[in-house]
Amino acid sequence: MPQVLSTKEANLFRQVIRDYEEKRYRAGLKAAEQILKRNPKHGDTMSMKALIMNAQGKTEEAFNLAKEALKVDFKSHICWHVYGILYRTNKNFEEAIKAYKFALKLEPESQQIQRDLAILQVQTRDYEGYVQSRFAMLKARPQLRQNWTALAIAHHLEGNLQEAERILTTYEKSVSAVPAKTDFENSEALLYKNSIIAEQGETERALEHLEQECKKCLDRLAVMELRARYLAKLGRKEEAETAYRALIDRNPDHTDYYKRLVEVLDLTADDEAAQKAIFDEYSAKYPRSDAARRLPLDFLTGDEFRSAAKAYLTLMFNKGVPSTFANLKHLYSDSYKKETLPSLAEEYLQEVKNSNAEASSDSSKGEGAALFFLAQHYNYYMSRDLAKALEYVEKAIQLDPKSVDFQMTKARIYKHQGDIAKAAEAMDQARLLDTKDRYINTKAAKYQLRNNENEKALNTLGLFTRAETVGGPLADLIDMQAMWFLTEDGEAWQRRGNVALALKRYHTVFNIFDIWQEDQFDFHSFSLRKGQIRAYMDMIRWEDKLREHPFYFRAALDAVNLYLSMYDKPEGLNGANGNNANGDDAAEKKKAAKKAKKEAQKAEKEAAERAAKQNPNKAQKDKEEEVKKKDDDPNGVKLAETKDPLGDAMKFLEPLLQFSPKNIEGQIAGFEVYIRRKKYLLAAKCLKAAQVLDKDHPKVQELAATMQKTIGDVLESLPPKVQEVLKAEFA
Amino acid sequence: MDIRLLHPSDIPLIQHANLENLPENYFLKYYLYHALSWPQLSFVAVDVSRPAKTPYDYPKIVGYVLAKMEEEPADGVQHGHITSLSVMRTHRRLGIAEKLMRQSQQAMVETFGARYVSLHVRVSNQAAIHLYRNTLKFETEKTEAKYYADGEDAFCMKLDLDFIKQQIKEAEGEEDEDGKKKSKKATNGSVESEDQDEGEPVGDVGRDPEADKKIKVKVGRGLGVGELVERDESKH
Repeated sequence: MPQVLSTKEANLFRQVIRDYEEKRYRAGLKAAEQILKRNPKHGDTMSMKALIMNAQGKTEEAFNLAKEALKVDFKSHICWHVYGILYRTNKNFEEAIKAYKFALKLEPESQQIQRDLAILQVQTRDYEGYVQSRFAMLKARPQLRQNWTALAIAHHLEGNLQEAERILTTYEKSVSAVPAKTDFENSEALLYKNSIIAEQGETERALEHLEQECKKCLDRLAVMELRARYLAKLGRKEEAETAYRALIDRNPDHTDYYKRLVEVLDLTADDEAAQKAIFDEYSAKYPRSDAARRLPLDFLTGDEFRSAAKAYLTLMFNKGVPSTFANLKHLYSDSYKKETLPSLAEEYLQEVKNSNAEASSDSSKGEGAALFFLAQHYNYYMSRDLAKALEYVEKAIQLDPKSVDFQMTKARIYKHQGDIAKAAEAMDQARLLDTKDRYINTKAAKYQLRNNENEKALNTLGLFTRAETVGGPLADLIDMQAMWFLTEDGEAWQRRGNVALALKRYHTVFNIFDIWQEDQFDFHSFSLRKGQIRAYMDMIRWEDKLREHPFYFRAALDAVNLYLSMYDKPEGLNGANGNNANGDDAAEKKKAAKKAKKEAQKAEKEAAERAAKQNPNKAQKDKEEEVKKKDDDPNGVKLAETKDPLGDAMKFLEPLLQFSPKNIEGQIAGFEVYIRRKKYLLAAKCLKAAQVLDKDHPKVQELAATMQKTIGDVLESLPPKVQEVLKAEFA
Repeated sequence: MDIRLLHPSDIPLIQHANLENLPENYFLKYYLYHALSWPQLSFVAVDVSRPAKTPYDYPKIVGYVLAKMEEEPADGVQHGHITSLSVMRTHRRLGIAEKLMRQSQQAMVETFGARYVSLHVRVSNQAAIHLYRNTLKFETEKTEAKYYADGEDAFCMKLDLDFIKQQIKEAEGEEDEDGKKKSKKATNGSVESEDQDEGEPVGDVGRDPEADKKIKVKVGRGLGVGELVERDESKH
């Protein structure tokens, strides 16, 4: 039998909960212990104590105590609930769900447990369970609109659009009062319903609903855009034209509106003049719109292109717009345009010279801008001539030795020449021209990393990171989730032969993606309260494919390749490309590895010293004990000591293959891992996928040869079914 | 270059642009918080001219405005606030910052009935101050001493948005009169045709611990044992 608390103690117990919620952990613990002194087997109090300890970072002790609590009071929903929360904060969602379900069985009326369960279900994408939970929650409190909306969301996520719509309609019909015009929740709920109708493919009905129900919706842009889209889809071209014109009036710099307008006007693709007329109309109406002037360059050809491009370039050069080249380089896939643009820039320079006009006081305009354009032109991979690029950039620099942009481009040219050290130096020169600008600071640090100067780069970045962050610039960059830095830093360490730090950085990137995935957690309930359902759905869809992001891909591929090289050369600390080293190279690399090891040791020592200097008894404020979990492997030494590099690689590889299957590099890496792990079918799958993507890829042909050879060697030892499949494909 | 509404999937590269450009940085979740609380208010400028490298490319962000509504305005007046605005130095002089701001201001009024919009800017940031004061017509309300982490002061600036409300009213009036909307030049009429180098970034102090705490409480009841006591948390 559970112990029963006196009134005084029951009050104290409530205090424990309040202390916990308000993060007064020490006070909470004290109160809990006070209760336990007289009632050492009070399960609920033990659980609460465990919860507080967990918040203080004492995970293991917390779990032990929570288990004890369950032993003494197996039938307490509080104990089960807390047990679930412990699992949930330690990211074992499956166990957490089980515990919540137990708790709910004991206390079916508890809104709180039901809600916690529901949130976990949607977080883990258990939509079936989520529908059930949201249904129960609606039944308990049907007067709350968000409960209706939430059930609709659950059905929507599960793929049952009709049911989702029906739920929303049922609620609408149940209210008799007309919602206020400023009722935001209502406005968004209507638009959400409209999106569900459209998603069912019923454009006609969606338009009707939009025009009848959503006219007064507060998100004006959404209403205008949806209406235009529906009209266009339904072929009601005249109305669609008006709708898109209204949108351009609202935002003349959104390229998509122009594209749609041209579409609904039924202009044939080869009628350049008619298309051009539309854009001319808008560039006259909105002289500051870049889109209206620039977009015609995409479709114009021949002389028409030439004269339009000339006008555009002249304007941009006169204004000194630094992104002119960046905004036009996509045209280079057309060889005529690729030839024409630089010759127009030359022409411009000639005209400036001939006009004898006084040079502009601002050298980024006029001549300087044209020289800058040409430097970038000859630096671009499709039109590269690095000697010429250098010539132009030097001329530009002569005009203005203090221009960050010019100097930056010079550094880039050096990089393309393959002189990484000189490039890094030049980029640092650019940085010194404007030490208050973080953009150029970032670029300089990036170039230092490319030049394997990790320490120097960190110092450079440290000029802008927050001074008060404990642990210095590195800690700040990790805190702030600076993916670019972590990846570049890891790659540089890898090149220097420091496997430990390289792995550490890649794992940090991996962990940040975990954080990003967990970031959605709070929004499952928050968004319902805010009523911004469409934005919430957007987030869910995006989170579903979070790890397809190139940020993930690059770091994960680096990690997989590094693990592969560790497997292949377990003794060496070489980077991923460390094969076939000749004598000199090998010696060099050995030296580098030794140096890197020394540096790692030094860094470790410094970190330890820093940690030691931190006074553990430093006055802690209220929010005190939210301990930042201490990293017990700050330099990746333990990561590098792995006995199973291929096993470790799997953690990175699986999301690569799942979320970026169309990236051939991922398939190649997958093959390399699986073939070494003797997972022949999986290797075959990666190889097939790579072949489909690009059968002429040199690496793919190499892999096919490896596959054939390997199969020849091992085929007999495989189960007959596997043999069959492999034979059919590769023998 | 393309100016459009921010989508949640843009956020990693917005965060990246912010880290590249500004000393005031935020967790991804703080961007999500904006995108999911006031999805109508934040806009991005995207480089649409980059050839795709993989099938999984995300559009490169060359500028963004991250905006919000003040949740509990001290003066009781509904108003918007610019949390962060930044344009890459490589993409200046196209008026991107101004265009982003105008889109955001319009939505603040339409969707949330904002009466004004406020922001912080470093007192040394001449280009940004010029954009706000001269181009967008902000007024300096006060100076906040040592607002930024490095000790620099901030100007608190404010722009009355009633003019947008007026424009909307007029447009609606026209619509009623001729039954058809006349094209209005309102939102994007060029105020100043001279091009400002407006690219200097502005931003709120990063990771304001109070702001973060506030989200946690509001978003969360994260671990929510509230119900363990007979307090009803589900009434909001």
